[in-house]
Amino acid sequence: MIPQRHEIRQAGVENAVLAIENLSITYGKGSEAVHAVRGVTLSIAPGEAYGLIGESGSGKSTVAFSCMGHVAGGEIETGSIKLKGENLLRLSPAGWQSVRGNRVAMVYQDPMNALNPAFKLGAQVAEALIRHRNMTRKDALARAVELFRQVRLPDPENLAQRYPHQISGGQQQRVVIAMAIACEAELLIMDEPTTGLDITTEAHILDLIADLRKRLGMAILFISHNLRVVAQVCDRVGVLYAGQMVEEGPASEVLRRARHPYTMGLNNSLLPIDGAVKRLNPIPGSLPDLRNVPGGCIFAARCAYATPQCKDAVPAIQVVGSRHVSRCIFNEILPLAERAAETRKRFGPEESVPPQLSVVDLDFSYARPSLALPFLNRKEQSKALDRVTLAIRPGETLGIVGESGSGKSTLARCIAGLRAPTGGSVRMEGQRLEPLAGQRSRDARKRVQIVFQNPDSALNPMRTVGEIVSRPIGLYGNASGPEVAKRTAELLEMVNLSERYLTRFPRELSGGEKQRVNIARALAADPDIIICDEPTSALDISVQAAVLNTLIDLRAKRGVAYIFITHDLGVVRYIADRVAVMYSGSVLETGPVREVFANPGHAYTEMLLSAMPRGERHARHAPEEIVSRARPVQGQGCPFADRCLRYLGQECDAVTPPLRLGRNGHMVSCHIPLRT
Amino acid sequence: MPLWLLITRRIAVMVISLFFVALLTFLIVNVLPGDVATAILGDTATPDQVAALRGSLGLDQPVLLRFMKWFFDLLQGDFGTSLTFNRPVGPMIAGRLLNSATLALICMIVVIPVSILFGAIAAVKQGSLLDRAITGLTTFLFGMPEYVLALGAMLIFAIWLQWLPGAAMINPGESLFLHLDTLVLPVLVISLGGATYIIQMTRASMIDVLASPYVRTALLKGIPRWQVILKHALPNAMLPTLVEIGLSFGALLGGLVIIETIFNFAGIGQLMVMAVQSRDVPVLQACVLVIAAAYSLGSLLADIASMLLNPKLRN
Repeated sequence: MIPQRHEIRQAGVENAVLAIENLSITYGKGSEAVHAVRGVTLSIAPGEAYGLIGESGSGKSTVAFSCMGHVAGGEIETGSIKLKGENLLRLSPAGWQSVRGNRVAMVYQDPMNALNPAFKLGAQVAEALIRHRNMTRKDALARAVELFRQVRLPDPENLAQRYPHQISGGQQQRVVIAMAIACEAELLIMDEPTTGLDITTEAHILDLIADLRKRLGMAILFISHNLRVVAQVCDRVGVLYAGQMVEEGPASEVLRRARHPYTMGLNNSLLPIDGAVKRLNPIPGSLPDLRNVPGGCIFAARCAYATPQCKDAVPAIQVVGSRHVSRCIFNEILPLAERAAETRKRFGPEESVPPQLSVVDLDFSYARPSLALPFLNRKEQSKALDRVTLAIRPGETLGIVGESGSGKSTLARCIAGLRAPTGGSVRMEGQRLEPLAGQRSRDARKRVQIVFQNPDSALNPMRTVGEIVSRPIGLYGNASGPEVAKRTAELLEMVNLSERYLTRFPRELSGGEKQRVNIARALAADPDIIICDEPTSALDISVQAAVLNTLIDLRAKRGVAYIFITHDLGVVRYIADRVAVMYSGSVLETGPVREVFANPGHAYTEMLLSAMPRGERHARHAPEEIVSRARPVQGQGCPFADRCLRYLGQECDAVTPPLRLGRNGHMVSCHIPLRT
Repeated sequence: MPLWLLITRRIAVMVISLFFVALLTFLIVNVLPGDVATAILGDTATPDQVAALRGSLGLDQPVLLRFMKWFFDLLQGDFGTSLTFNRPVGPMIAGRLLNSATLALICMIVVIPVSILFGAIAAVKQGSLLDRAITGLTTFLFGMPEYVLALGAMLIFAIWLQWLPGAAMINPGESLFLHLDTLVLPVLVISLGGATYIIQMTRASMIDVLASPYVRTALLKGIPRWQVILKHALPNAMLPTLVEIGLSFGALLGGLVIIETIFNFAGIGQLMVMAVQSRDVPVLQACVLVIAAAYSLGSLLADIASMLLNPKLRN
């Protein structure tokens, strides 16, 4: 039973399941000590879900792991963590062993790595039961199967006998959840449980969490950087900035009526849910150095409302509403609505403009070695791209969305010439390009550049920013001699980095800065098209907002076209003019963003749209899961037939769906005609 | 991949690589200066005498022809006849192989558990005095050539202390186990050399595994630390080490050349040195083949063991 809202409100610290008081945690010693968590206080009532949000480096995971007595390399300096009144910090190692997995259990961010690769799934769940419930191995395994059924895993008996690598990421997370609820813990800690999962999988996991809460009524500490996901799951949220709690209150209120400038900044960095193309308003600056914590308000240096008064003393907690507190002395005069954001027009050339780059019937197959004797290998084919046809006009932004395994990154690599397609062609203004970049003319290479997902590994650690950015200028002959240095500085300025960065090495930069260097490097070649392969997926939301703003400005200034690859529909809706939806190597739907989002023609697009988090309690319901249909054979029928909610039958399995044409180049590959 | 298929595949690869090993040794021996005839007859022989002996030994035929003949004989189980001893090679190496294999096996039995234990302890107690002692000692031993260790051990235990015999005088056909004391020094020296690498490997991979999220999961399930180390960490940490152990078995047999010579141990390594000195190609070929086969067999065993430990490789 979930307690009613008014009951939650009355629940004080006395009967709280978890009460953290004045917790301070430090990593390292002496002058190098990082004061990662400072004076954090929070409490969670029985049955309550409490969300802890903040960007990387905020200390939220440190707080979560301290509740499990696992602060690797860190030291708890002050404070207490009480579980039903018992101070966990006084526990002996043996005492912790009886709490962990039993009274407090955890669900981890990366389920693949959280499971032991050498153990059967059933045994991994049974282990806690044998330990804490004195069950025999046989009983524990039977209970594990029962738990697998509870977390709605298909064919639980069979699954218990399998290993982690044999199941999907979503199923792995269900196993981790089964492991966490095995001993009916009083407190469940979830550390970014859906980060890294596909959007539809995320929807299913969040539904499962809501369902388990209803049935088991445990208290939850939910850690996330995604405000909308938190608002969907949690009753209350706390906002952590640089190791300090800056705001706490009911989830919907914090998201909609933030009373601290940092929370407001996070909210302003969120992509609008209604698809508006307002300019984002990211938080300027970066995290303070926690080796030397500045006095006064910790956020003052980045705050638009700060006055000298803010630096005098650490602001006390101010009550700003019912159960809503903030650490801002100006909370009363902060504007209520988002700051007026300038809107921008949707860009994009007319339908009639001929495409600059097109991809025609592109195929890419992986050869999987079959299991035969050496030299007798028959290769089995596995298609990553299946007859993909797309076009991009000059200055246009084409978004490509799809879940993991949809082939979107393979497509990017084929267009950039990093992989040779096994069929079809890439054309530049109608001219067929050679498959590999090395075979293409210098001019063709110059015109298509790429920005990769992981900004760290894309930059040579041995080169300075100046060297990285200036190299393509010389390579493509865009300038020479002293001109090069001038161009390099211009490029850095274009991506909002000052000349000071010229002599820095990648390791001295933050994630957002590195991604800007990558963009500047791509721009240095003076390209017509930049392929952006998940350029903001590894970044915090406020950093993502800043990088998206940079890309939009560059498009306006330079008229460069983007092929923007992402799994995040919000990003595509925000930045792209047209969108292509990919699934299992095929493009299922393509068309103008407004058209596709308002009037999706394919059941898969519909499913993705319905799975987008909206930041409302219980607003999302994951699409119905279909487990009864067999996976379609590649190259036959519709690749989405086994998951489709509008499945027609035989026809979908056997016949390749026709291309249905809608308005403004809207195209859908489906047996069902488009609604117009 | 099913186990039998893997084994079949690996044996096929093994046969092919052994063929090339044999061909390569044949060719290399052939380009060395001097041949068996000059080795037998000595420096004073006239060119006519050498030519006559070469003719009677069949050495005047082209290399490839000799290789083909040797190879087809081998397929019928005939290793040929020693040129210097004029005895069939097969029985000659069989006894010595048994001696060497026994020595190697005893070493493995000593080395594997000891080095995994020390490697794991060093990793679990990373940064402690014990860890630093283990790491320091292994680094020191790792940099020490085997013959230095062997001579040092001989000097201390055989000459100064006179606890153990310095040479292993075993008469042909006599069981090794009648002379167990002669085995102690060779085993000690080989194990010290072999253990260092495995200790360092185990330590490194154990440190990685201990820092992995799934070990954290197990700890935060409330499983006691020692149980997490034994059940969750060690099997995963053993994967890279196993491959190393398998390969080191072959290296061990190959490395016996020096140790056997120093301790005058009647094994295959000693025989090989003799064969090289006298250019006795059939004996050398057989020795090289046997050692190469041991390498392949070792890595096959390692692969099978890692398949049993790693479910990802099993299907």
